[in-house]
Amino acid sequence: MSIIANHELIERWRNAPAPLLPLLHAFHDRDGYLAAEALRAISAALRIPLAELYGTVTFYHHFSREPQQPQRAPRVCTGPVCALRGGQELCHALADQGATAMPCAGRCDEPIPVLQGHQVLVGSAADDLVHRPAPLPPPNPGSLPECVFAEIRRPDRATLTGYENSGGYSGLRKAVQEMTPQAVIDLVSASKLAGRGGAGFPTGRKWQAVCDAVGTPKTVVCNADEGEPGCFKDRVIMQYDPHAVIEGMILAAYATGATRGFIYLRYEYPEIQPLLERAIDEVKAANLLGPQILGTDFHFELYVRRGAGAYICGEESSLLNSLEGKHPFPRNRPPFPVTHGFADLPTAVNNVETLASAAQIMRRGADWYLSLGMNGQVGTKVISLSGDIERPGNYEVPFGLPLKTLLYDWAGGPGAGRTIQAVTMAGLSGGFLAGDALESATLDEPSIRAHGSMLGAAGIIVFDDRRNMVAAAHNAMTFFAHESCGKCFPCRIGTQRLRERLNGEGPTGVESWLAEVADLGRTMKAMSACGLGMAAPLVTESLVRFFPAQVEQYVDGHKSHAGWE
Amino acid sequence: MNNRSQNRIIIDGVEVEFSNGETIYEAATRHGATIPTLCYDPRLNPFGACRLCVVEVEGVRNPVASCTTKATPGTVVHTSSPTLDLHRKTLLEMVASENDALAVDPLRGYASQELTQLVAQYRAATDRFAGQHSGHSKFEDDNPFILRDYNKCISCYRCVRVCAEQEGDYAISVMNRGFHTQITTEFNGLLRDSACTFCGQCVQTCPTGALGDKKALRFIEENI
Repeated sequence: MSIIANHELIERWRNAPAPLLPLLHAFHDRDGYLAAEALRAISAALRIPLAELYGTVTFYHHFSREPQQPQRAPRVCTGPVCALRGGQELCHALADQGATAMPCAGRCDEPIPVLQGHQVLVGSAADDLVHRPAPLPPPNPGSLPECVFAEIRRPDRATLTGYENSGGYSGLRKAVQEMTPQAVIDLVSASKLAGRGGAGFPTGRKWQAVCDAVGTPKTVVCNADEGEPGCFKDRVIMQYDPHAVIEGMILAAYATGATRGFIYLRYEYPEIQPLLERAIDEVKAANLLGPQILGTDFHFELYVRRGAGAYICGEESSLLNSLEGKHPFPRNRPPFPVTHGFADLPTAVNNVETLASAAQIMRRGADWYLSLGMNGQVGTKVISLSGDIERPGNYEVPFGLPLKTLLYDWAGGPGAGRTIQAVTMAGLSGGFLAGDALESATLDEPSIRAHGSMLGAAGIIVFDDRRNMVAAAHNAMTFFAHESCGKCFPCRIGTQRLRERLNGEGPTGVESWLAEVADLGRTMKAMSACGLGMAAPLVTESLVRFFPAQVEQYVDGHKSHAGWE
Repeated sequence: MNNRSQNRIIIDGVEVEFSNGETIYEAATRHGATIPTLCYDPRLNPFGACRLCVVEVEGVRNPVASCTTKATPGTVVHTSSPTLDLHRKTLLEMVASENDALAVDPLRGYASQELTQLVAQYRAATDRFAGQHSGHSKFEDDNPFILRDYNKCISCYRCVRVCAEQEGDYAISVMNRGFHTQITTEFNGLLRDSACTFCGQCVQTCPTGALGDKKALRFIEENI
């Protein structure tokens, strides 16, 4: 058996754009781990100081540095949804195969996902793990018009032919052949489309800023690092409608003047990478991508880059550092990526759902999109719904739809004989909603914010009345502590201290426990450098607000409490 | 364009001038304001990690890090307020909780008293937020020059940055993430097996004495 030599791997990647991650993956795939000798070779080839490269590699959850922990061993999701379904127990059951736990892997509408090699298996027990694609979104129960899911259930939609037969790339053809870049930006602005990764920044304004910014080459980045627990919408879009994402990126490039693009795909979606790369090859062959697109001077190259397990890389400036091969700390802002993005040049970073929406909007028009909302809201949002609910899955809702319509009418409510105790918002980042909010909230940012939370990327995890909410909060804080990058002090220390306080440690009196938790949260929210540290305390804040009795009972039992870990 | 008239901001009620590219921190301290910092070293690129230097800017919801925020004309800045002081105190209590006792021999290094002094100045309690400690001292590194007492490290990365930005050695970096962050060399080894030249810059910028000047400490031991 011949093994590919170091220099062959290096030659394959050293002159490619954003070479570090693919090169690390190439060595990791070859050896099952990253040996010292591999890092020395990469350090020399890419001229990254060895200490820095070593530190950067240790940042990623899924890069192994030890030969006895090969990537072939199972990695079992123990995230907040899988914790409700026995993720930890499954991890123990697979211990003889060297199984380790991993944070939420974005298959929350299924039994527990287990990552093995480059495959995601799903199942509830060690002996029934199967490899199968993630489920399609359930048919829209309200028969309301959809945007990103409008064509996704067509069986051949993922192929170029199927995509074009259902209207795909007609928006791009129109844009490139009949419209100026400014007209494309104006149309997207008129639709009021805003960032669907959670931040909600107006897409047209972002594209305008990149278009106006000085400096070339410009870049479009698709943020497909969907790491928020309880969010699995980008996966389903990329799996069943990859061309919509690619068309959105080409449109963004045309509008902004970008000549290169990257899809930054999260590590935990291994099957999506070859699927996207095949789709890119198809589009290139059809002259919709590459040099002289549709016979014009418009030129755009597109590359897929795979992350290696780091939630913070979903934060756009961390993502850019990661792409550039740097330590993936968030950058200080301003300046923003629209002027100082990839390689310090103007860059549009857009979420998967945003780009797929842009493709539909270009084809169907801004007025059509404006008409999709409800109750005065504009447009649609894909919600990933999971946890204690009869029909989990991805639902595209009009903004403004009542939360309870989604939970009960669309998704069948909680299990028989159960009631809904709480739901999370923005995956975990919005903390919990409970009580009256479950009755009165509508699915749009103003309503959810008025209830002290945020819709964000719109993952909603349901907890029924059986669940211990302190345990749920502990699981959430464990995630944030695990994913805190370690740069800014309030988040690095605060997530750890809150995790401990939810794990039977810290003050034993209710009053001092509450005072410490409130002080930590207040300072984290005000002082943290990025959204992670600002959002994490929403978990404890909402826990204390909605479930004071459970908190009191938990803290009272502290001394005898061994913790959940 | 007349920059002299345009480059003015209001800091704590006083209108002051700033030069192009200057940060709020630089402009404020140049005009006599005292702003606490732990990750700041004037020789290094602003980093924005410790967040102690946050100030209130009118019209901006959250406080902003003054070390990384450029001064812009017309900005109204407050470098101190009851809210800011409370956040700074809480933050210092959090920092104090991550390590063992704060007091260190001043001979360890030029900046070694910075954290101790700030904790005293803000009357921050050292017994709040008790929990796991973050540092792991590397006493096995028996080089004769640099003490690596990371039990006192607060991950401000001044050592890493001075090594890269001032010396160009890139001998040390950051490994792991979150609370498990550690200062490391390549493969987490000894300094003598790394690119370290023992210049001592890291020792002198360390604000907690987590890095110590072994020669100075040895001299005292042997002579006093």
